[in-house]
Amino acid sequence: MFRRIFSIAANTFRETIRNKILYAILAFALFVIGMTFFLADLSVGDFARIIADVGLASIHIFGVIMAVFLGITLVSNEVDRKTIYILLSKPVRRYEFILGKTLGLSVTLLLTTFAMAAVLFLVHLSYRYGGRAEVGIFIASAGIYMELVLLTCLASLFSTFTTPVLSAIFTLSLFLVGHLTKYLYFLGEQSKEAGVRWASRFLYFLLPNLENFNWKNEVAYGGLKSFSILGWAAGYLVAYAACVLCLSCLLFARKDFK
Amino acid sequence: MTHERTILAIEGLSKSYPTGFWRKPVRVLTDLTCEVGENEIVGFLGPNGAGKTTTIKILNRLAFPDTGKVTLFGGRDRDGSDVRRRIGFMPEQPYFYEYLTGGEFLRLCGQLCGMSSHDTESRSSDLLAKVGLSSARGTAIRKYSKGMMQRLGLAQALLHDPELVILDEPMSGLDPMGRMEVRGIIRDLKAAGKTVFFSSHILSDVEALCDRVIMLHKGRKVAEGRVEELIGAETLYIELVVSPVLPADLLAAAGIPSDAGYAQGPLFVLRAPDNGHANRWIAELLHEGCTIISCVPMKKNLEEIFMERVGNPSATGMAS
Repeated sequence: MFRRIFSIAANTFRETIRNKILYAILAFALFVIGMTFFLADLSVGDFARIIADVGLASIHIFGVIMAVFLGITLVSNEVDRKTIYILLSKPVRRYEFILGKTLGLSVTLLLTTFAMAAVLFLVHLSYRYGGRAEVGIFIASAGIYMELVLLTCLASLFSTFTTPVLSAIFTLSLFLVGHLTKYLYFLGEQSKEAGVRWASRFLYFLLPNLENFNWKNEVAYGGLKSFSILGWAAGYLVAYAACVLCLSCLLFARKDFK
Repeated sequence: MTHERTILAIEGLSKSYPTGFWRKPVRVLTDLTCEVGENEIVGFLGPNGAGKTTTIKILNRLAFPDTGKVTLFGGRDRDGSDVRRRIGFMPEQPYFYEYLTGGEFLRLCGQLCGMSSHDTESRSSDLLAKVGLSSARGTAIRKYSKGMMQRLGLAQALLHDPELVILDEPMSGLDPMGRMEVRGIIRDLKAAGKTVFFSSHILSDVEALCDRVIMLHKGRKVAEGRVEELIGAETLYIELVVSPVLPADLLAAAGIPSDAGYAQGPLFVLRAPDNGHANRWIAELLHEGCTIISCVPMKKNLEEIFMERVGNPSATGMAS
């Protein structure tokens, strides 16, 4: 089973890494991150905050664009091009296909996120007025990467049953809502209606809480030094991604290919 | 129908697909029952929309039937990896990962089938040579022609040495040379003890290759049997080819109706309704100094059988 999953993952990695649009997005992201070197000159005194703020936000935004762009076509491209006919006629289970595709894309996103984080780290290190090695950039980038993996799982879930355009809309909606769930919970708790309070709690736990992976402010203010913070977020990612992937596999298990 | 061992059994298979905004089901396959025995070549015939590809998709788990069941190799678990490893499948107009080379694609297929690297490499080399793609092994698939894709599709279907080979329109997109090579490969598979189940529009290929045929029309089976049984032993007419071209007065002198023949270049073709007429005409023509070039009893071919069963020749979309 694992050999088949890894074979599909390796092929997906090869497919995504040869995607020219991915390189265009990555090149633009690296350019914007590199430009923070000059942007920091505009700030008064607190250059580190500008570099970390703008740089990490760039990694986040461009990472989401890559995850959504590649994730929404993860399954639908295989179906549209009918390459899935060959794969599934082999001794490959449908859940192995979904897991392999998601794993392959996650590896691609790991490389691109690391490349962006490394450039930001170098910009931060080489800044002419007191640049320093900021390990928090890698910690915050790891959080962003975990968020991207979760978005990939969500995009692949939507990709199993709807069109790429709708998948993109659903995934981006969950991305936006996922950063606002604590406000949803907070607002719900203010209500005098028990039903509203329960509904807001239900949605709070149902929807992904992407703020669990967000440590950009901590890096900007220099308060993020230990990798141990990743533990809780990784646990949340594993639990939530497992649920999403199970649902994807269930939906995909009985899908007819016309 | 009895076989020493049934490799594939289809029982009461029906399938509908939802269509349109209201997802109204449209029936594409109705109560299909048939069997394929060990070491048979079975042709699956039908016009466009007959349900051939839907049946083949169901056999390969790409679609699920509404009712009915498929039994492979006599077992219950048709989804098990062990069963899938014994089946090779080539879809209609196969499409592959265009960023891979032919060799890389076969390596991926070998990994998915659980083959060792060594086995994959040696089988790939043999099969690529067999389908005439040895020189294109390192070429990116995006540069392959339609015929080359078809050949690669055949190679991937045979890579893991399956017992049952299912081919959906294996001849489509191939030039006459390619068609002849594929026919040779299918015959080799039978000689190696494999079972082949393939769909085709090209009736002459089916007639030349198959032990049995199953004809499908509008989702229903309209005929099934051995090719020679379907064609039958009955002679339709006897075709005489004579030289030189016979003038009308000579025909009349020989007692041959004027509408029984036509000129074809320097030759004259006659259609005798039975052996008695043929013998009498030959004697008369020899007496008149003509040369008999050939005398062939003509039987129905598969295309005529198909047109009879389907009933609407203009709508079949078949090619001979």
